[in-house]
Amino acid sequence: MSWETVIGLEIHAQLSTKSKLFSGGSTEFGAESNTHVDLVDMGLPGVLPVANKEAFYKAIRFGLATGAEINQVSSFDRKNYFYPDLPKGYQITQMTKPIVEKGSIKVLTDKGEKLINITRAHLEEDAGKSIHDLFEGETGVDLNRAGTPLLEIVSEPEISSAKEAVAYFKAIRQIVTFLDICDGNMAQGSMRCDVNVSIKKSGDKELGTRAELKNINSFKFIEKAINYEIERQIRVIENGESVVQETRLYDSDKNETRSMRSKEEANDYRYFPCPDLLPVVISDKELQEIKDNLPELPEEKESRYISEIGLEESEAKIISSSKTMANMFEEASSKTDDIKLVAKWLVGDISALLNKDNIEIDESNLSPENFGKLIERISDNTISGKIAKSVLEEVWENGSDVDEIIQTKGLIQIQDESVLEDIARKVIESNSDQVASYKSGKDKLFGFFVGQVMKETQGKANPKSVNEILKKLLK
Amino acid sequence: MDKKTVTTISYLSRLKIDSEKEQKIVKDLDNIIKFVDQLNDVDTSSIEPLTNPLEKTAKTRKDEVTAKNLKKELLEVAPSANEDYFLVPRVVE
Repeated sequence: MSWETVIGLEIHAQLSTKSKLFSGGSTEFGAESNTHVDLVDMGLPGVLPVANKEAFYKAIRFGLATGAEINQVSSFDRKNYFYPDLPKGYQITQMTKPIVEKGSIKVLTDKGEKLINITRAHLEEDAGKSIHDLFEGETGVDLNRAGTPLLEIVSEPEISSAKEAVAYFKAIRQIVTFLDICDGNMAQGSMRCDVNVSIKKSGDKELGTRAELKNINSFKFIEKAINYEIERQIRVIENGESVVQETRLYDSDKNETRSMRSKEEANDYRYFPCPDLLPVVISDKELQEIKDNLPELPEEKESRYISEIGLEESEAKIISSSKTMANMFEEASSKTDDIKLVAKWLVGDISALLNKDNIEIDESNLSPENFGKLIERISDNTISGKIAKSVLEEVWENGSDVDEIIQTKGLIQIQDESVLEDIARKVIESNSDQVASYKSGKDKLFGFFVGQVMKETQGKANPKSVNEILKKLLK
Repeated sequence: MDKKTVTTISYLSRLKIDSEKEQKIVKDLDNIIKFVDQLNDVDTSSIEPLTNPLEKTAKTRKDEVTAKNLKKELLEVAPSANEDYFLVPRVVE
């Protein structure tokens, strides 16, 4: 029997505000435990939450960028459950009136572009962190993260494979980072997701019973967890049993999903409007201001790079694919006139180095200033492209200044044609056999002479000049 | 309202109910709900749900860090803590 998979994603994106959603506590990552905890975050009696307007503005940017409806009046509800990292015993969220509804995003799949609808994106507060493995018989609680603003982005169940789910997640990550509303750092948990997976017989209209996979924070694990879960559900149904609606935990060590039924037993969040918070209103003027200042999105960048700068489509696509790459391109481009050469190096040698080290460009030792300088030195003929590669490698290694490397290593290109001509003559004299074969029609040997001259000059000769000189001498 | 519902609610709210009082609580809650249920007779289909009776809108904050580091003070008032964390009975995942 053939099965269809139906997947919906709930992505939690930490909004990059300085302070928390309802308090003046700092949202800084990695601080000493429990040092960013305000009385509101602690849930102490007698305190009242006050909403952070910036979190709304950031959520609205997301709504505008995904063509969604913005609810200019939105309100908060309480979701009740007990867990030690949730001090109040409830999470403040937006159940009935989310700030953003009915958006959509284009996702690149194997079968081409697909539009995935976004049901809603609402604001809510993050919980603290429980530390289970540090203390004998006890769980430690760090409330630094408690109250950090999250945008929960809920997709329609329109995703039909694990790969597509990853593509959707990547598209959302791309957009939130370009909008500068979330740093997109998966390792630090700035973006996490819950995945709803169900299967149905091919062609069936009705959805099957779904399982929810909790808190997955890497692209690789999203794909693996979904694929495992699909196979598990097929097995269950083909054995004549039925899938239970439950929350499952993905164990990346064993590559399996496990039931968390114990926690689910009496899962009833008893949502009700939060009496501590009045509805938050966004004025027409505020909304217009956000619209007017919306950052340039990947697609817009791509077409601008092609039409205004004249990049190849493939180059424009790669450079606009990530925020850090686009930033590097734009900043380095302001340091040199040869913008096309900036693009060529970014897409070529630098992308190769990034892939090799598996890092983003802002994690590398290359600064936009230094990169711009490198391009300048190539285009003003100070160094050859070949030497530039070795300079780049050294910058990559230790972040040294491009001009310093060129100076201390004596890498300046030999411009003096008479010097090059002398070297070329010597090469020709000491390779009389090759000269004879060349003259008898072995054109390919030309490259050999170029190579010899380059070797003699330790790569410092200008290849164009070498070509011209050799052509002249070998006539 | 039955005994099972009361047991569920008491579990969800972490309130312990003495078994001898259980019957009385079932009856009391049943009465309360029946009383409140009268509201369902009113046709509210054309009325916006009320999220807050004050009919005002929220004052909001600027995005500024105003909190001080209260780590020592907060850990001190907790029922159980060490020098870095609040401690609770182990929560098994």
